[in-house]
Amino acid sequence: MCVMVCRPSVPVHTTTDRSVATLFAYVTRRVLISVPLLVIAMYLVHVGVSATVDPRSDFYLCLPRCQEGFDSITETYALDTNIFLRPFTYFADLFSGDGLGFSSSVGEPVGEVMRTRGWNTAMVAIPAFLLGAVLSLLLSVYSARRQYSVGDYFFTGLSFIGFAMPSFVLALIIQVIFGVKLEEWFGIKPFNTGRKTGENFWELLRDITLPAVSLAILGIAADSRFGRSSMLETLNQDYIRTARAKGLTERTVVWKHALRNGLIPLVTLWALGFSALLSGSVVTESIFSWPGIGQTFLRALGDSDLDLLMAIVMFTGVLTVIFNLIADVLYGVLDPRIRLG
Amino acid sequence: MSDALLTVDHLNVGFATRAGIVRAATDITFEIHPGEVLAVVGESGSGKSVTALALMRLHPDNAIVTGDVLFEGCDLLNMSDREMRATRGNDIAMIFQDPMTAMNPVFAVGDQIVETIRVHDSSISKQEAWTKSVDLLKLVGVPEPKRRASQYPHEYSGGMRQRAMIAMAIANDPKLLIADEPTTALDVTVQAQVMEVLHEVQAETGSAMMLITHDLGLVAGSADRVQVMYASRLMETGTIDQIFYESQNPYTMALLDSIPDLDGHREQLEPIPGNPPSLLNPPSGCAFRPRCAFAADVCAAEVPPTVVVGDQHESRCVRTRELETLGGEIS
Repeated sequence: MCVMVCRPSVPVHTTTDRSVATLFAYVTRRVLISVPLLVIAMYLVHVGVSATVDPRSDFYLCLPRCQEGFDSITETYALDTNIFLRPFTYFADLFSGDGLGFSSSVGEPVGEVMRTRGWNTAMVAIPAFLLGAVLSLLLSVYSARRQYSVGDYFFTGLSFIGFAMPSFVLALIIQVIFGVKLEEWFGIKPFNTGRKTGENFWELLRDITLPAVSLAILGIAADSRFGRSSMLETLNQDYIRTARAKGLTERTVVWKHALRNGLIPLVTLWALGFSALLSGSVVTESIFSWPGIGQTFLRALGDSDLDLLMAIVMFTGVLTVIFNLIADVLYGVLDPRIRLG
Repeated sequence: MSDALLTVDHLNVGFATRAGIVRAATDITFEIHPGEVLAVVGESGSGKSVTALALMRLHPDNAIVTGDVLFEGCDLLNMSDREMRATRGNDIAMIFQDPMTAMNPVFAVGDQIVETIRVHDSSISKQEAWTKSVDLLKLVGVPEPKRRASQYPHEYSGGMRQRAMIAMAIANDPKLLIADEPTTALDVTVQAQVMEVLHEVQAETGSAMMLITHDLGLVAGSADRVQVMYASRLMETGTIDQIFYESQNPYTMALLDSIPDLDGHREQLEPIPGNPPSLLNPPSGCAFRPRCAFAADVCAAEVPPTVVVGDQHESRCVRTRELETLGGEIS
């Protein structure tokens, strides 16, 4: 005999289910929009790089004598094809097994160069991003909550200095003080002056600290300003007063109700900033002799290394599109109103 | 009276500005009894909202608040932040003017109600609180409350949002409900519905209500007592009949003359001449003097004291006695 146990049915909490459905539709939409964007970007990048870089530049001066070398380069890069058609040849090669080509300036396959240099850049970029994001967030909240306090003015002043200072000046100052003078004055050398020397983790940490910090400072200066005004605007909204009237603690009001809304503008800045960091910084990497993508880019440009240049610019383009997509998705996650758009 | 739920005694709210101190609420003294509906009426800027926010200690940081506010014998202005938080949303709940901006756009309506319930009683599980918020939405007349609870504020219409705000406010059965112009941002048909909901829940929970509005028409059908404010001060306090039919204060009378009468008795509306005074630099004596039809020299001498003119009926006018004899001329 079956006894039915009567229990009050537990209502299903449906907020999440429905949100996930709308969110999924929104993300799918954003991804589909990114595909044609990426194709068009790649085409334009290729035409642009082809139009500005000529790997035969050294050969023009000796032309009649070195016609053979000239022609072989012309053939390698298909330079006699119309510039607007060349991307098609390039992408056909890309998928037919030639890959990204061979880097004439480094002397390795481009794929290999991108992998090692890309990893080096990421080693600096990821800590720089994390440091920058956390500090700019904390500073935004601090400055917004204590508007016009001494601390607020102090950080405002600092960020204006950081804003106004060119990145090479900042990097040089950091390099000189922490990399060189600290040793002269106190005989301690907590950080390496850049250049990838590290074998173990701690050595590596000493290597990346200075470049990562100087990259982070540049981001913090800008992001904390935007974050402050965004948080200020949010904290003055009616729903913050409602949240207080509900009897919530100040912590919940600020870190849950205000932050979720105030964060939205920062997300774009972070996503674009992170993609810029990952595609390498020419100036900072040069000053700290860091063998990343930025430094490699400079070298490829000097040597008219077409395949490598193409790969780096494409990499930057792909990163930008991907991180824009990530920003869009995070927007949707943070703000349900955007999912419908 | 000792049985008062809320006693406000000589409450002053000022704002320190560069130009000087702006007195937004001056010498406010009143009581609210359990289950009673007290309407606070006045023009924009007369200090109604500021008074309410000061009671909840939600006033802006640059406000200077003095006086005594006793809620069930507890001093609201001097209790600790922790005690104040435990009171807010629990014993005293507030409904705000603009439902479009008063709810957080990034959280589902049901979740916002759940939060209100659980912040005051963490022993209630999320599921129980969710069931309760669905019930509350049903109570305030939100159709399909189960589905609507998981929606976000932008998926609600203005009237529905205000209903949801009411649901949120009554979630913990407050003893006092402060409704700050709850229908001002809504269109007229929705106003009536929302007021009806407000009355139903007020009757159901037995809570007292402080209804802040500038709409005398709204007050007529809903309040037990009325308090008229002008330029940061209380001008007249009385029962609804005393205010509407036996008003002893020139400002209240002028206010009543300026509203349309549905029965069509009034042929022409009488606007009050002039503008409300600057609170930074109010006129000497009675603040209404420059616009008052009965102003005399005596009015400029000093701020008129409140005069008891009847049972529960007080008026702030030095010429109250004289006006009684003038009464025939006015009507």
